[in-house]
Amino acid sequence: MKRIFLSILVVALLLGGFLLDATAQKPGAGMYFRLVTHGGDDPFWAVVHKGMLDAAKELGCRADIDLCGGDLALQQKRFREAVGMKPDGIALVINDDTAWDKPVADALVAGVPVIGMNNDDKEHAAGNLRLCYIGQDERRAGYMIGKRLFEEGRKKGWDLTKAHVAMPVEVPGAMYGVVRSQGILDAMKEYGITSYEVIDAGGLEMTTVESRETSYLLANPKTKFMIGLGGICTDRLTDSLKAAGKKPAEVIAGGFDTTPTTLTGIREGYVTATIDQQQYLQGYFAIYVLYLYKKYGLLPNIDTGGYLVDSVDKIGLIEKLSPLMIR
Amino acid sequence: MISYGRKFFSYRAVSTLVVFVALILFFTFFTPQRLFIDPRNISALSKLMPDLGIVALGVGMLMICGEFDLSICSILPFCSYIFVLLLRAGTNLSVNLVITLLGGAFLGLVNGLVTVKGRIPSFITTLGTMMFWRGVLYVHSRMWPIGIRAYLPTGSSFENILTGIIGGVLPVQVLWFGFLGLVLGIILHFHKFGNWVYTTGDNKEAARAMGINTDRVKTICFMIVGVLCGFAAVMQLLRLGSFAATQGIGFELKAIAASVVGGTSLRGGIGSMAGIFLGALTIQILENGLIFMRVPVFGITTFIGLAIILFVILNNYIERKRRG
Repeated sequence: MKRIFLSILVVALLLGGFLLDATAQKPGAGMYFRLVTHGGDDPFWAVVHKGMLDAAKELGCRADIDLCGGDLALQQKRFREAVGMKPDGIALVINDDTAWDKPVADALVAGVPVIGMNNDDKEHAAGNLRLCYIGQDERRAGYMIGKRLFEEGRKKGWDLTKAHVAMPVEVPGAMYGVVRSQGILDAMKEYGITSYEVIDAGGLEMTTVESRETSYLLANPKTKFMIGLGGICTDRLTDSLKAAGKKPAEVIAGGFDTTPTTLTGIREGYVTATIDQQQYLQGYFAIYVLYLYKKYGLLPNIDTGGYLVDSVDKIGLIEKLSPLMIR
Repeated sequence: MISYGRKFFSYRAVSTLVVFVALILFFTFFTPQRLFIDPRNISALSKLMPDLGIVALGVGMLMICGEFDLSICSILPFCSYIFVLLLRAGTNLSVNLVITLLGGAFLGLVNGLVTVKGRIPSFITTLGTMMFWRGVLYVHSRMWPIGIRAYLPTGSSFENILTGIIGGVLPVQVLWFGFLGLVLGIILHFHKFGNWVYTTGDNKEAARAMGINTDRVKTICFMIVGVLCGFAAVMQLLRLGSFAATQGIGFELKAIAASVVGGTSLRGGIGSMAGIFLGALTIQILENGLIFMRVPVFGITTFIGLAIILFVILNNYIERKRRG
């Protein structure tokens, strides 16, 4: 009896040691990272979160995300709290050019590594002490989508000097919209387009956005391009164009993100192109970069976007990965 | 004749009606190319206005009862999510709708019970439930949009009943809005429950002394709001073709604004279903008309805020004149 018990004990110890060893082999074991973001009522951040969780699982570390719903004061509070927790690193959405200068500097002095993600200071490393940046270059993304849509107009033989560009945005003044619209303006310059208007789409509520876009289209028949500066404005483009009595490609439309309705719009020809920000990579690489910095002092800047979705072929892959919250 | 005229204009809803008609005439004649009355605009408005309008009917009735509901911006997407989950599970559509409406009723019941039994101001209760249900929704749905076309192709009879177009011109949603307004109007103005609502909102203690169970009246009003949110959620979901966790954001303040514009008193006990109905229409055509007037779109909120304040001043003036 004693022998059997001893045998069982030895096997159990060996197994336990093996399991412990297996767990300890996870390279990030014991580390804790935090993402402090301005995200919230937007499915975009569900994908960022998934990327973060997948990376944390692979590395065996812990990670949390703050979604502050666009409230800068709240985000600053969360950031200070995160710094106080002394994590192994923080990935911060730098959605203001001045508000984050001191908090990031103070965090670095306190020994907490801070990298930028999703949004960056307009002056990049010259404007903020964050260690590196992971995300889409919003201005370049705006330029890409603008160029794609304006090229479509040129192919149709439109006189682009007389064209009017409408840019609905969910949250007027928010950094994402401001920087993206700057990129679009860069593209407009190349094509000789001078007339444009940024429209307050009324927030994140779908009916309100659709109502404003439809009314604008009816009130401004000279609109030749409508570019949603955010995912919800882009999502509502197809229904707004239909409600305004427009035929597919009568107004060249496009924007950002790949919601089911946006992809349907591309299929039906109402939406010409959209930018997939590949935000999964923002959450995923944020964790990996913080880990690599902690371990080896590595600090790469990573441009995660934007992937231009402008054909039915490209939609298939996205639709397959969409339910998995990877795209 | 003069006394009939005086009596007519003494109704609070009449001031809203006058402004509503004035706005329609103004926008009709002063929008470029009279685009305001373009059939496409009328059709778009008819399709979109009922989303907020239906919810406002319930919120206004609750305000007459003396309470507020800020949680509609969470109840609406939550009900939408319930419908989508059941849709994915293959539940019969009619059963799905009933369960969704019951879900809305349940959320309203929670608001009612917490408010009346906990003796907590409804503003606080519904502020809390607004955050609570939205948080639950976010955790469960991960804020991910869910397309419904894989489970419910476009053009089904269920969809046509709720969001179809009659004769290629008239969206069914506007008929539902009118129908629900009529039903609630009959209840509010011709049924004893409506009397209880007014009395409870006007003077709760007096209502109790008269034998009215004010707690039950308030709870039922909360449940009506929940059911209407559920109905609007399904209509909106069918029209959008996908669930979005952001459905209904901002509706809570707009619904209150619509009720106030329609002559409902913030103190309770005063208001009418006709006024709430017209208030919901007025708020939305004001926004629509201003865009047609080429008002800078960023300035629209300014005008809406101003309109709300002016309506409250006007309604207070009318009330003072009535009490005389």
